[in-house]
Amino acid sequence: MTNANNTTDQPGLFPAGLSYRETWGEWFDRHSGTFFIAPAVTLILIFAIFPTFYSIVFALSRVKFSADGLKFRFVWFQNFQKQFLTNEQIHFLGRLEGMNAIGWIFSLAVIAAVVWWLYRSVRSGASWIGMTGRLISAAMAIGLALLLGATLLYGNQWGTLMTTLFYVVVGCSIQFVIGTGLAFLCSQPIAGKSFFRVIFFIPLMITPLGVGYAFKMILDITKGPFQPFWEFIGLRDWAWSTDAWAARWFIVVGDSWQWIPFIFIVMLAALENVSKDQVEAAQVDGASSVQIFRDIIWPQIVPVAATVILIRMIEAFKIVDLPNIMTSGGPGIATESMSLHSFFLWRANDYGSSAAVAYLLLIVTVILCSSFFNYVVLKQLRKAHA
Amino acid sequence: MSDATYKLEKTNRTLMERLFEPPAIGKMSPVANVVAYSILVFWSAFVLFPLYWVVITAFKDSKVVNEGPYYLPFVDFQPTLDGWRAQFATDQFCDPYAIGRQVLLLAYNSVAFVLSPLVNLQPMEPQICKVYLAFTNSIVISVVSTTLCIVIGSMAAYALARIQYKPKFGNIFMFVLLTLLAIVATTYAGVHWFAAATVGLALFFLLARAFGKHFRARLGNGDILFWIISQRILPPVVVVIPVYMMFQAVGMIDTHFALILVYAVANLPIVVWLMHDFFANLPIELEESAQLDGATRLGIFWDIVLPLTRPGLAAVTLLTLILNWNEYIFAVFLSTSKAQTMPIMVAAKNAGERGILWWEMCAVIVVMIIPVIIMAILLQRFIAKGVLLGAVKG
Amino acid sequence: MSSPKSGVPVSFDKVKKSFGPVRVLEELNLQVQPGEFLVLLGASGSGKTTALRILSGLETATEGRVRIGDRDVTDILPKYRDISMVFQSYALYPHKTVGENIGFPLKVRKVNPAERDVAVREAAAQVQLDQLLHRYPRELSGGQRQRVALARAIIRRPSVFLMDEPLSNLDAKLRGHMRAELKHLQQSLGITTIYVTHDQIEAMTLAHRVAILEKGVLQQLDTPARIYNDPANLFVAQFIGSPPMNIVKGSLEAAHFMAQDAKIVSPVKGKVANAVLGVRPEDCSITSPAKGALKGTVYTTELIGDHTLVTLKIGSDFLTVKAAKDYTARPGELVGVTFSKDQLYVFDAGDGKRLR
Repeated sequence: MTNANNTTDQPGLFPAGLSYRETWGEWFDRHSGTFFIAPAVTLILIFAIFPTFYSIVFALSRVKFSADGLKFRFVWFQNFQKQFLTNEQIHFLGRLEGMNAIGWIFSLAVIAAVVWWLYRSVRSGASWIGMTGRLISAAMAIGLALLLGATLLYGNQWGTLMTTLFYVVVGCSIQFVIGTGLAFLCSQPIAGKSFFRVIFFIPLMITPLGVGYAFKMILDITKGPFQPFWEFIGLRDWAWSTDAWAARWFIVVGDSWQWIPFIFIVMLAALENVSKDQVEAAQVDGASSVQIFRDIIWPQIVPVAATVILIRMIEAFKIVDLPNIMTSGGPGIATESMSLHSFFLWRANDYGSSAAVAYLLLIVTVILCSSFFNYVVLKQLRKAHA
Repeated sequence: MSDATYKLEKTNRTLMERLFEPPAIGKMSPVANVVAYSILVFWSAFVLFPLYWVVITAFKDSKVVNEGPYYLPFVDFQPTLDGWRAQFATDQFCDPYAIGRQVLLLAYNSVAFVLSPLVNLQPMEPQICKVYLAFTNSIVISVVSTTLCIVIGSMAAYALARIQYKPKFGNIFMFVLLTLLAIVATTYAGVHWFAAATVGLALFFLLARAFGKHFRARLGNGDILFWIISQRILPPVVVVIPVYMMFQAVGMIDTHFALILVYAVANLPIVVWLMHDFFANLPIELEESAQLDGATRLGIFWDIVLPLTRPGLAAVTLLTLILNWNEYIFAVFLSTSKAQTMPIMVAAKNAGERGILWWEMCAVIVVMIIPVIIMAILLQRFIAKGVLLGAVKG
Repeated sequence: MSSPKSGVPVSFDKVKKSFGPVRVLEELNLQVQPGEFLVLLGASGSGKTTALRILSGLETATEGRVRIGDRDVTDILPKYRDISMVFQSYALYPHKTVGENIGFPLKVRKVNPAERDVAVREAAAQVQLDQLLHRYPRELSGGQRQRVALARAIIRRPSVFLMDEPLSNLDAKLRGHMRAELKHLQQSLGITTIYVTHDQIEAMTLAHRVAILEKGVLQQLDTPARIYNDPANLFVAQFIGSPPMNIVKGSLEAAHFMAQDAKIVSPVKGKVANAVLGVRPEDCSITSPAKGALKGTVYTTELIGDHTLVTLKIGSDFLTVKAAKDYTARPGELVGVTFSKDQLYVFDAGDGKRLR
């Protein structure tokens, strides 16, 4: 890493006639480029990069406790193999017993779409790096489609991978739609909007742990505040925590309660940055609020929208506190996210498998987030700056 | 915009038009108004109700909680301080002087830490009230960690915005290779971690000096920035076990220091990302002018750049502070008793054969959320602007 | 620190600059005399600001040497070059008071506070800012901010002043006033000054000598009067003067310049197939169609104040004439234009060179 002032190391820097003696401060200034960035880089190397590499060792080993610490035995990809093919398959991928017609139709439709997309990008002349990236994204999409066909569409239980994706896809969509809608309302000429703004912002500040417990308490059928309501609709003896889908949806509700404010404040700021002239011109022309939003405001905020979804997605993949607290991953493994899966394996002292699942989560996150970044966010940003 | 009251052309409007058309530009129609307010009020209720429920539960006792839903204090049920008292009752050290003792202990331990190279002062065991301990731990850890993160992060962000870096790809590749070798040596061959790290680093510097000039491919500032930001993708579960082992190796499990460092690194990507944009948007003439006048890089950063980004700095600081205050996963792994933070206290109310002690837990949650809500209300506009800048230009 | 220095010479020796494949400066050679006020004049993208930034050290030259006094400063850090610079945006520090802004160069050089305070007051007095030392830049008018920037530049008594369009953010009236003050200040301090602008009025009024740059090439370096009266090429002739010089295309044949249907006595002799005739609006006068060397119809008349600008349409070209303020004509009226031989300039249409 060299200093931008590439003049610094050349002779003739301090010519005769200019009395000059290099002090400690001068030496520091000359190397300021290194000193400014070194602490951050060092910390990341030690506490993020190094542990990430170290995790590979865990994931490729069988770890045993012994008197003098941990003992590692190299087992190649056994820990990964377990998740996909043998005893842990049900936990990670779900119960795979074949596919029915709907599953096949769905999978084939996705495969056809992906192949068509690849064909088009070959035609438009993508670079070999771009093509490799597209192939990885395509493989991921096809794999997930087949998995969806074999589990959900076959009526079979699914594993932690699909559960995590459910939280990411469904959670982010709901949060984005509601958050943007609320932001749009608050950008309208409404009395008291600064009050609503502060109120809507609050959940983001609450510890996720607190959110989990608060929702567990509120959604309690017999002692929670909605007890009269459950009784009224005849669900007195129903326990949502034993119903896989109800449990998943309630976790999404809790997650949305916490994260809609994030979408809300960013989208509100974006909406307030929209060019006033264009909106006023449309108002004078007699356009309705909805028309103005669709034709004038939306195109201007799409780049922010894409970015905020990306940020939200990255965080959503890590979801662990809510399912852990609200359902402990249950009923069965119905609400267990991959982070929680890894956490449980760690608690069971299976360090190797725990690291393997964590690594799989990292791989899935990186592929899906960078696909979204490359094919959606960058496209929108380029359009906005063009 | 609100002053604009240009009347529409038509003066005689039908009832439907009166209901559905805005009375003036920049206003909303009556129907739209009703719909908008209903949604906003409904959402406010949805947002506030869980908080309300937590707060009133904190003033219930076990009987009221277990009997079923009671909604209104003084009307439905008689509020008690059971939940609050319980924090102290189970803990023999929680007497009225506990706060004072806690502050004194903290002061003593800080002095002991600062003087530790000179005088051998043993830090005092925190034989005190657990709630106060967790609360002061949370404050110390989140404040120190935030400060560290902001200082390191904004310096890196500024450097990336203004100084050209050209790290060589070959050197990075070599570093990664040597790191992997060192890890393999420690785990499978039983080499001591310190030896492996020293030899690895020495080898890296030697090899970089020897072969560095032959490497051609270089990375740029954009790549470094992307690399730092992308660390946010890393799920904590990937790194937490190795991080635990690292701290164990140096005997720092259950110390403030461990949590401070880990939190600082976890939030570095956010700080660097957001601050980079604030710095990049500053007019460069100010810095050029200072440079011509003879100011050093650090002087420019401290004297010119930081004061100009104060609003952004405030927002990013607040955001980091809140994230640290609420963090749970790392705290579970890295603290056992002395360094426990508030989230651990919350979770601890779940343990035991009596089930969850809701009234006690809610009291702890209330204590936890009051400070952040006050800060949030004061600074929410800053946060929105800060996040937006990063989001759009990142 | 505060003892006045006599001016030092500055020179650019074969300085080239390119940003990647884009060449911004092509071999600039320029000698600035001690104490001289030199203006670098050019349109945006002409390379004038790049030349200034290379001298300041904020950019490094791709090739060539830069000298200040007897020192080669090409590879020296900006802070050791003993220069100060006034930026177009003034670059005032918004969070520092006027006094702190002016004193900043001394503060970073660790001058003790008492000495610094004296110097700040002295510099502020020189630009009539002594009453405003405790204000912040946002509380000042545009002209006052400009003065703060000037005071900050003069407080160190550098060898060379660099100014990058310092007046372009002021309104027209204030600009005229500040121009006069700037000229006075430079004369009283006697410090070599290099001033970048795109405004020809500033260049003509301020400079001892003007250097006109276009596309990274120095077009002409001379006193304002000679630049105006004796332009070296077509670019300079058209760039200087307002309204710009009139251009008539045609050819030079022996002693005559042949335009479409006119034959004009030329100041130079020769044979050039593609030539351009230039004449300044104030050197033209309007006569009857019969007497004029050129004939055209009146297109518009604009009363400016002390004169009237008459635009004539000759064929498909336009020609501007500066007429007396009481001149009146109907649009469409046929008139003639005359000029004397020694007020004409002839250029080669190919390379733009003046034919002498």
